[in-house]
This record gives sequence, structure tokens and C-alpha cells, in this order.
Amino acid sequence: MTTEQQLKLQAFLDGELPEGEARDVAALIARDPEAAKLHAELKNTRQALKGADAGMTLPESREFFWSKIKREIERAAPVAEPEPEPVSVFVTLRRLFVPLSAVAALVIIGVIATKQFNSTADAAATQGTVTELADAGAVTYHNYETGTTLVWLSYPADDSTQPKTTVQ
Amino acid sequence: MKIKPVSTRWFWLLVMLLCLGATAATARAEMKLEAQLIWGTSDDVTADPLHKPVDADVAAKLKSLHLQWKNFFVVESKQFTVAKDDTQSAKLSKDCEVKVKNLGHGDVEMTILGRGKEIGKIKQSLPKGELLVTGGNAENSTAWFVALKQLE
Repeated sequence: MTTEQQLKLQAFLDGELPEGEARDVAALIARDPEAAKLHAELKNTRQALKGADAGMTLPESREFFWSKIKREIERAAPVAEPEPEPVSVFVTLRRLFVPLSAVAALVIIGVIATKQFNSTADAAATQGTVTELADAGAVTYHNYETGTTLVWLSYPADDSTQPKTTVQ
Repeated sequence: MKIKPVSTRWFWLLVMLLCLGATAATARAEMKLEAQLIWGTSDDVTADPLHKPVDADVAAKLKSLHLQWKNFFVVESKQFTVAKDDTQSAKLSKDCEVKVKNLGHGDVEMTILGRGKEIGKIKQSLPKGELLVTGGNAENSTAWFVALKQLE
């Protein structure tokens, strides 16, 4: 017995075949014991399922049933957070100024450090005395031990443009 | 979030430190200076009784320059304060005037004027305890000096 014949047998049982084909299937069942056996088996199965497939009826109306579901969904939804307590202006300002002060302190430290660095650099740059003199005969002498710098000028102009020192 | 009391204490401490820092920075920007017109001579006495010997510190510094003059007398002394990037003048005699510009970071620009004419301009770092001296020959083998120093 082919698969097609089996399907036609099932369709015959469900009353879905046209009259001509239904006659052919009925003849097949009559002459073929295997077909007759399958037909009987399918018929019994169908009969058994008929009782188990009874429709359920709701004890309440459709609208009332869905309204209950809707209420359950709303009840299960997360509860909104409670309103925060009002905060005083002073507390708000304090919350604002504490981190701002920390940032300001860091900025000031940075500026001071930068200036200090520049100061060191400038000091190094001006370690030597820079003179802008009218006369080219000026002499500069440093005594680093005592922290004294002498710039000897030829003013007023005369013959002696060098400082008169006891030690040269 | 609840702020703990300790945060408030830290906040005010920080504010106080910032105020102190700002005050210190302002004070540092100013320079309190003294300019002296000094006469150097080998004589033990000065012809002008108003002239007084330079103080011991300045005398020691001048002696460290190994100059030929033994004695140094203060002809005029002026104290003044110069703000950063500002210039102050001090007239030390009828012919001698000094202009000092505060360049910041402890640096100064000293300009010497003789009879109204600029005869020299010196830029130098002038930390406290150091002395910047300009000088020249004067009559009768004497010398003039302008000494500039920071006051404490």
C-alpha cells in the first residue's frame, strides 16, 4: 500500500474526497485487507479522540476574563520610585562647592607649579646679568659667594673706565 | 546622599588654604627694595658729616668685590615697593636717579640716570640677601655706587 493510498484513505475517512475517488477508496478497502485494517485503525483513533476534544466553556464572560488578566498585569508592574525629599539650598550648594573646591585647588596647584617651573627657568635665564649700556667699556663682576654683582660704568666719562681694584 | 560633618570641615579648611595661598601669591608679587647712593673713598673720614658708613652687610659685600676704596659712606638711601610689572623711581641726588622695574619672579630691571640721561640698564635676578651694585669713578680718586637690595 502506497503512501498516496494511505493519505487518500485518511481523506476518505474525513469525508474530503470527491464522489468518484471515494468510490475507488471504498473498493480498495473492500478488496485489500491491509487497507481495511488501516481504515479500521484510523476510524477507532478518530472515535477515541472525539471524546477527549470536548470544548471548554468559561464560567465568566470573555470581557470579564480579560479584565482580570489586565488587572494582574498592572499589579505586577514595577512600583514608581517615591518622590525624593526636598533638599535645602545650602546642602545643594555644599554638594556643588566641595568638588568644585577640589578642582580649583588642583588648578591652583598646577598654576603655582607651572609658575615655579617658569620662575626656575627664568632665574636660570637671568643668572647672568643682562646690561644695556651706553658705553661698551662697562665691566660686570659677580661674587657668587656673597651674592654681590658689580656693574662698573665709565660715567662720568674719563680716562679710567675700569674699576680700581686691589685684586685682579 | 548625606554629607558627613567631616566634609564640611574639609571644605572650610580648603577655603582657608586657598585664601592664604592667594594672599601669599600677592605678597610675593611685590618687591620691597632699598636703593642707596654710596660714596667710596680711601679716606677714613667723610667731608660731609651727614654721610654715614654703610651698614655692615653692605660693607662686607662691597669689600668682597676687592675694590681699592676702603670706606663706603651712604649719601642717600630710599626705600620703595614695586608691584609686578611696575616701575618706581628714586632720586638719590640732584644728578643721580634710579628706576627699578619689577619683572616678576624676583627679577629686576635697574636703570641708572645721570643728569637725566640714561647711562645704563641692568636686568638681573635679585633674591633677598643679594646686592646689585653699579658704580663709576668720581673726583679725587673716589667712586660713586648705587646699590640695590631687597628688604626683608
